[in-house]
Amino acid sequence: MYKVLGYCNLHHTVELGPLSEERSLASTPFLGRYAFIDFTLSNFSNSGIDRVGILVKEHQRSLVKHLGNSNVWNTNTKIGTNAILYNEKDAKNSRYNHDVNNIKENDWLLLREKTDYVVVAPVHFVMAINYQEVLEEHIKKGADITVVYQKVDNAKTHFESCDIVTVKDGIITDLRKNEGTKDKVNISLETYVISMKKFEELIYKTSKVSALYELKDLIAFSLHEGNVHGFEHKGYVRCFDSLNHYLEYSLELLDYNVRQKLFLPNWPIYTITNDTPPTKYLNNADVKNSFISNGAIIDGKVENSILSRKVIVKDGAVIKNSIILTDCIISSDAHLEYVIEDKYSKVIRAKKIIGTKEDPVFIKQGDVI
Amino acid sequence: MTKELVAMILAGGKGTRLEALTKKVAKPAVYYGGRYRIIDFPLSNCANSGIDTVGVLTQYESVALNNYIGNGEKWGLDGVRSLASILPPRQTEEGANWYRGTADAIAQNLDFLDSIKPKYVLILSGDHIYKMNYRTMLENHKKNNADATIAVLNVTLKEASRFGIMNVNEDMSIYEFEEKPKEPKSTLASMGIYIFTYSVLRDALIKDLKNEDSDHDFGKNIIPYLISKKKKVYAYRFDGYWKDVGTLESLWEANMDLLDNKQDVGLYDSEDNMKIYSEDTKSVPEYIGKEGSVKNSLLNQGSVVLGSVEHSVISNEAIIEENAIVVDSVVMPGARIKKGAKVYKAIIGDNVVIEENTIINKEKKGIVLVKD
Repeated sequence: MYKVLGYCNLHHTVELGPLSEERSLASTPFLGRYAFIDFTLSNFSNSGIDRVGILVKEHQRSLVKHLGNSNVWNTNTKIGTNAILYNEKDAKNSRYNHDVNNIKENDWLLLREKTDYVVVAPVHFVMAINYQEVLEEHIKKGADITVVYQKVDNAKTHFESCDIVTVKDGIITDLRKNEGTKDKVNISLETYVISMKKFEELIYKTSKVSALYELKDLIAFSLHEGNVHGFEHKGYVRCFDSLNHYLEYSLELLDYNVRQKLFLPNWPIYTITNDTPPTKYLNNADVKNSFISNGAIIDGKVENSILSRKVIVKDGAVIKNSIILTDCIISSDAHLEYVIEDKYSKVIRAKKIIGTKEDPVFIKQGDVI
Repeated sequence: MTKELVAMILAGGKGTRLEALTKKVAKPAVYYGGRYRIIDFPLSNCANSGIDTVGVLTQYESVALNNYIGNGEKWGLDGVRSLASILPPRQTEEGANWYRGTADAIAQNLDFLDSIKPKYVLILSGDHIYKMNYRTMLENHKKNNADATIAVLNVTLKEASRFGIMNVNEDMSIYEFEEKPKEPKSTLASMGIYIFTYSVLRDALIKDLKNEDSDHDFGKNIIPYLISKKKKVYAYRFDGYWKDVGTLESLWEANMDLLDNKQDVGLYDSEDNMKIYSEDTKSVPEYIGKEGSVKNSLLNQGSVVLGSVEHSVISNEAIIEENAIVVDSVVMPGARIKKGAKVYKAIIGDNVVIEENTIINKEKKGIVLVKD
């Protein structure tokens, strides 16, 4: 039996506009009760990978809050670990504050766990993936590095700033940025399985090529050796890279046919519990095609929307195609369409707040409007 | 380490009148309010009262309950100074004994209590729905310099004949205890919640163990014994919501209270710092479909409503399919109400499937239980 160390890599998370101004994408609320990192940590947990280091670039405040009790994701709470790895030395120097330097700066985890393989996974690609299947393929092929990718046909408009890989007979021959010139490409899901010997070589030796090289640059640099393999992931993947996409992809999951591709049987998504009571629907509640989280009290109209915990929707309020985060209050007669409302805010005086699919209205955390 | 106050929760009861609901689980493990089990209430009360050591006495169908309690982490009782200890009957040098009554259950675990050396012991039932700060009751006990304090609820004169009734002096000291009196002299009913000064309790339990005529019951034997010995026994008045869900009707009513009764157990009150903790079910948020409709109801995470729900309590992972109708009912976890089925005034047990176009309780008479 081999040992595996997981790295949850937050160094390449993208901004979701104002929503991620003060928080990491990893701890950004998603689908009412989750944070994005829950999916990656649950993938590790469900794949039987209990030793996980979380490579944090910035915004650790909201992340530390979310991970407060990280035993949620561990099978064995003694053997398992969810270490938060933060590169304090390079924190203020964005060029140097990259994943390789973070791994090196915090290599106590690497040295302590003495594992045979490393799995690196990001959080901005939301998917359900069994890393064990990738590992098995990696071992069978005798690969040094395996890069998980997906064949897509919309890369001109999606997956901006993601990486494209060229795969020939299962071997990755090229890795470069998506310039949006072609629709049909292989998008790297920035999920890598690396044998330990190769990993140490990358981190301690290859990295000397350039102090600014990130992990993916080191992988690109190793392609000429011919032992970087590709693993095609065919399931649900969305890259959350903008506020529009956040709204679009979240609402898309209201469709059962889409949802069942992300929430697989026997693949639970773990998150922290808040012990909120069930949702209360009052006499005037009129809710259609929506996700509603516990603790909400609803007496208005909600359609095609996602409501987080403890949202209060008063009689006469209308909410359509919107995402309302925890502890918001929507007063009577307020009419919201295509709105993303951040936590603890209240709609009291504004009567009509209407955005569009392409340009949703954002209400800041704690604002009263 | 000595503790000032230790709680012992009696959770061994079968709850015969809950019929098939308690066929495979003890009554404290019965589901309530869409996301809870009844025992969440006393356990959360303990946590919220700053009690960090809790013994849970299980006996009848204890496997599910023991698993549920685990190390107490659901109620935060797994901290460094906390202990949630499951105490089932056991085999000893003298042989194997079942718990023969509430007092016997505690008597058989005196070694557990001795190892902790508490000053006071709080005895609770695992099958009552209420929020209570036991600290306030303890303060009362200490103020009275009491040997025993019994929490009481003011019931109607009519109801009084169903309860153990305390007859009290002006200072709330109890001079007489009557079990289910035909002609009650008072309306102060025992809630089955006791605080004892441990040394007094210990002596009384050891005496009671040796008494072959005793039923080994707190209400019938221990309390009357203490009163007869002129011990200082006080009543402590509780005014909040309290429900003993002994029957299907009362379980149904307690659920409906969450929808109709403004004086319900107060799951949504945050001012009192008495949150009720429970298991997190790893569910997705609840989903209401394009044709779904939910009014005047409670839904827990993980439920899916594609049909219509009115005045009902729907638990996690319950599914109400297209054109199905659920009215005035309680649907427990994982139950599935299939297309076109109609459910009126019913309790649908966990993981029960109601087949397409079936009608449950068409006459809307009484409360119907559907359980495998």
